[in-house]
Amino acid sequence: MSMRFPLLLGIVILIAGLGLSMLLTDYHLRLLNLAVISAIAVIGLNFAFGYAGLISLGHAAFVGTGAYGVALLTTLLGWSPWLALPVAVAGTAIFAVLIGLPLLRLKGHYLALATLGLNVSFSMVAANWIELTGGTNGISRIPELQVAGHALADERSYLWFALAVLAVSAAVAGLIHASRHGRAMIAVRDDETAASMTGIDVTRVKIAAFVLSSIYAAVAGGLFACHMRFISPEDFSYAHSITYLAMLIVGGEGSIVGAILGALLLTFLPEWLRFLGSAYLAFFGVFVLAILVFLPSGLVGFRWPGSLRRDGRSKGPAMVAASKEVRP
Amino acid sequence: MSLLQATGIAKRYGGLTALSDVELSVGEDEFIAVIGPNGAGKSTLLNVLTGLVLPDKGRVLLEGRDMTRAAAHKRVRAGLGRTFQHGRPFARLSVLENVMAGAAIRSRRSEAELRKRAMTVLDQMGLAADAQAAIGSLSYGRRRMVEMCRALACEPRVLLLDEPAAGLNSAEVDQLADRLSDLRAKHRLAIVLIEHNMGMVMRLAQRIVVLNFGCKIAEGTPSEIQRDPAVLSAYLGEGHRHAGV
Amino acid sequence: MTDFIQLFINGLAIGGVYALAAIGFVIVYSATGVVNFAAGQFVMFGTFAGVAMLLNAELPWPVGYGAALLAMALFGALFFAVLYLPLRKSPVVTIIIGTVAIGITMQNAALLAFGSWPFRLPSPVEGVNLTIAGATISAHAIAVVVVTAVMVALLWLLFFRTSLGIGMRAVAQDIQAARLMGLKVNRLLALSWVLAALLAGIAGLMLGPMWFADTSMGDPIALKAFAATIIGGFGSLPGAIVGGLFVGLSEVLGASYVSSAYKDLISFGIMIVFLLVRPQGVFGERVQDRG
Repeated sequence: MSMRFPLLLGIVILIAGLGLSMLLTDYHLRLLNLAVISAIAVIGLNFAFGYAGLISLGHAAFVGTGAYGVALLTTLLGWSPWLALPVAVAGTAIFAVLIGLPLLRLKGHYLALATLGLNVSFSMVAANWIELTGGTNGISRIPELQVAGHALADERSYLWFALAVLAVSAAVAGLIHASRHGRAMIAVRDDETAASMTGIDVTRVKIAAFVLSSIYAAVAGGLFACHMRFISPEDFSYAHSITYLAMLIVGGEGSIVGAILGALLLTFLPEWLRFLGSAYLAFFGVFVLAILVFLPSGLVGFRWPGSLRRDGRSKGPAMVAASKEVRP
Repeated sequence: MSLLQATGIAKRYGGLTALSDVELSVGEDEFIAVIGPNGAGKSTLLNVLTGLVLPDKGRVLLEGRDMTRAAAHKRVRAGLGRTFQHGRPFARLSVLENVMAGAAIRSRRSEAELRKRAMTVLDQMGLAADAQAAIGSLSYGRRRMVEMCRALACEPRVLLLDEPAAGLNSAEVDQLADRLSDLRAKHRLAIVLIEHNMGMVMRLAQRIVVLNFGCKIAEGTPSEIQRDPAVLSAYLGEGHRHAGV
Repeated sequence: MTDFIQLFINGLAIGGVYALAAIGFVIVYSATGVVNFAAGQFVMFGTFAGVAMLLNAELPWPVGYGAALLAMALFGALFFAVLYLPLRKSPVVTIIIGTVAIGITMQNAALLAFGSWPFRLPSPVEGVNLTIAGATISAHAIAVVVVTAVMVALLWLLFFRTSLGIGMRAVAQDIQAARLMGLKVNRLLALSWVLAALLAGIAGLMLGPMWFADTSMGDPIALKAFAATIIGGFGSLPGAIVGGLFVGLSEVLGASYVSSAYKDLISFGIMIVFLLVRPQGVFGERVQDRG
C-alpha cells in the first residue's frame, strides 16, 4: 500500500489536471497554474508543519528565495532556466539550513513569530536592495521555459509542465511520508522526548523537515518566476506565508491530498465568491473561519470521517493531548 | 564490568535536592528495582540515566563508555531503552508504525525488514492483532504495551521501566510480570524497574535499590529489603512528610 | 538636539500606540492563549470607528470618542463569541489562521464601508504646538504619551486593586482553578477580549491624527505589536509597554538617523535576536509552549 498510494496520487493528479486543462478558459487556466504552484509549496509546508509540527510563517521567504534565485541567475547571468532552477533550489536549501539551525530551537508561537520576522526581513531586503533585486519594481523579462525547442509560453502548455512537477512532488512526498523519515517527523511532532527515547535525533529530524519544506518552496518559487516571468517583493510577503498555512489547514494538515485541495480551494474560492461583488474578500474570511470551525481536520476530514482515518487525527490534537494525559 | 553504571549522581533544583550521591550499577541480565516514596528521586534518576536531565555531579557509564553528557538518542542507540510513566506512544502513528519507528534505530534496514522486526516484537508481546490499529482506539494498558514494544524494537541491552504497572488492573499486572520474565529469558536483557506495586517488585527483582529524599538508603535482595528498618520507616513516614521533588 | 527632542517625543507617541496595541494582544494571550493576528485590524477598526463618529456622523469629539469606544467594546465581545468560543479547543495554529481569516474580513469590510482613500482623523488638540527646549512638538504627541501613561496606570489599578482584575488574572493563570473558585470564567474571558478591543480602539483613535489612516494600516501595526511583545517578553504587561516604546522609538529615530528604508528592520532584527538569545524577552516570564 505504501508504495502504491504515491504512484496513484501522481497519476490522479495528471489525469484530473489534463482533463481540466482541456475544459477551462485561459483565465481559469492561469488560476489553475497558480493553484498548482501553490500546491507544491503547501506540500512542502506539510513536511514542516503537518508532519514535524514546526509552525512556519516564513514559508513565502523560501518561495521567494527560489524565485529570486531563478530570476537573478537567468536575467543577470544569462543562465538557462533549466540550470538556474536546480541551483536556486540548492541555494535555498543551504539558506534553510543556516536559518533553521538557530531558529528551530524555538517552539510553538515563538517559532511562528520568529519565522514571521524572517519573512518580513526578507521582504524588506528584497524591496530595498535595489541594485540586485530591482526593489519594488521587481525583476522582469525572466526567460520562458523551453521543452524540446517548444516554449511553454501559453497557460495550457505551462500547466502541463506544472502538473508533471506537482505529480512528482506529491508522489515523492508520499514516499517520504511512508518511510522511516516520515515516521520520525510525525514522532517528533507527537512527543519530542519519547522520540529521542526511540533513538531519533530530534534536532536533525526538525532541520531535515524544514529544509525539505524549503526545497519544495523553492521549486514552487522557480516555477512561479518562469510562469509570471516577472516577480516583485509583494509576491513573497508574509501574507503569502499565512495563505500557505491556511491552505494546508483548510485542506487538512498532515495530508498531501489535503495540501493540494487546500491550495485549489483557496485559490479559486475568491473567484467563486465574485458574485458577491466587492464584498467577496470579506466573505472569504468568514468562509475560511467556517471551515476551521465545522471541518476541524480540513477538507480531507470531510471526505473520510471517523474510523477510516489512519490515526484518528480527525478527533484533533486535543485528543492527542488527552491520550497523553490519561490517568488510571 | 557492569552494563550501566551511575556513580556519585547529584542533582539539585534550586534549593531542593533531588538526588545526592546516588550509585547504581546494573550487570548483564540483571533485574533491578528502584523503589521509594513519592518524591524520592526515582524519576529524576531515570531522567539522568537517559539524558533527559543532566546531573550536577557524577558520571553515567554505558558498557564502560562515559555517557554523562551524551544526548538521549545517542544513549538509546548505544543500548539504553526506556518507557514513560503513563505511556507515551506516538498518537499519530499506528501501532505497527510506532514499533517500526523504534526498529529504525539501525539505519541500514530496509522498510520490509523494519516491518518484519516490528511484527516479531508485536507478536511476542501479544499485540500482533492490533498492528494496524490507531493508538487512540487501544485501552490504556495496551497503549502502554505498544510503548514497551517500541522500546524493545530499539534492541536495548538495558531497559528502564517507569512504573509500568501504574493504572493496570491486577490481571494485566500479572500478565506484564510474566512478559517481563519472558523477555529477560529470551533477549539477555537487563531491566531497571521503577515501581510502586510491591508484589511485582518482590516477585521479579533480583536486587532492590531504595531511594528516599534523593539518597540511596538501602540496597539488597527482596528479602533483605523487606527486613530493613530504614526502608520501613521511610515508607511509614510517607504520609507525614512530602518531599516536593 | 532640538531635532532629537522632537523625534524622541514623536517616537514615544508612536511607541505608546504600539504599547497599547501590544497590551491588548498580551491580555488576550494571557487569558485565552490566543495569538491574535487580527490585533492590527483591531487598531484599524479603532481609527475607523473614530472616522465614522467624528467625520461621518460629525459628533462632537467627547461624544464621538465615547461612541467609537462603545462600538469597539461591542466588537470585542462579538469577536469572543464568533472566534474564540467555537475554536477554543482547536490547536493554536488553527486559531491563528482563524484570527487571520477574521482579520481579512475586518479589513475588507472596512474597505467596503470607507473605500481605499486615506482619512485624516482630527485631534481634539488639532494644530496646537508646544515648544520644549527649542523644539516644536505637537500637543497631540504629548497627549498621546499622557493618555498612554494614564491607561497603563488604570490597567495597573484594574489588575491589582479590583476584584474584577484579580479574577481576570486568576483566569489567566489557571482556568480550572478559577472555575473551581466559583469565578464566572467565560464572562472574564469575554471581558479580556472587550478590554483588548477597547485598548486597540484608544490606540486607533490616537494614531488617526498622526498618520493618514487607510484600511490597510492594520498589518504593519500588528507586526510592530508582535515585535514589541517579543522584545518585552511574551505575556508580560510591563514587557508590552517597554517593547512598544522601544519599537516606536527605534522606528522614528532609526528612520532619521539610520535609514528610512530599513527603519523597520531594526525592530525586527532585534526581535529575532531576542528570540534566539533571550526568548523570554526583557521582562520574561518562563518560556512555555502554550497549545
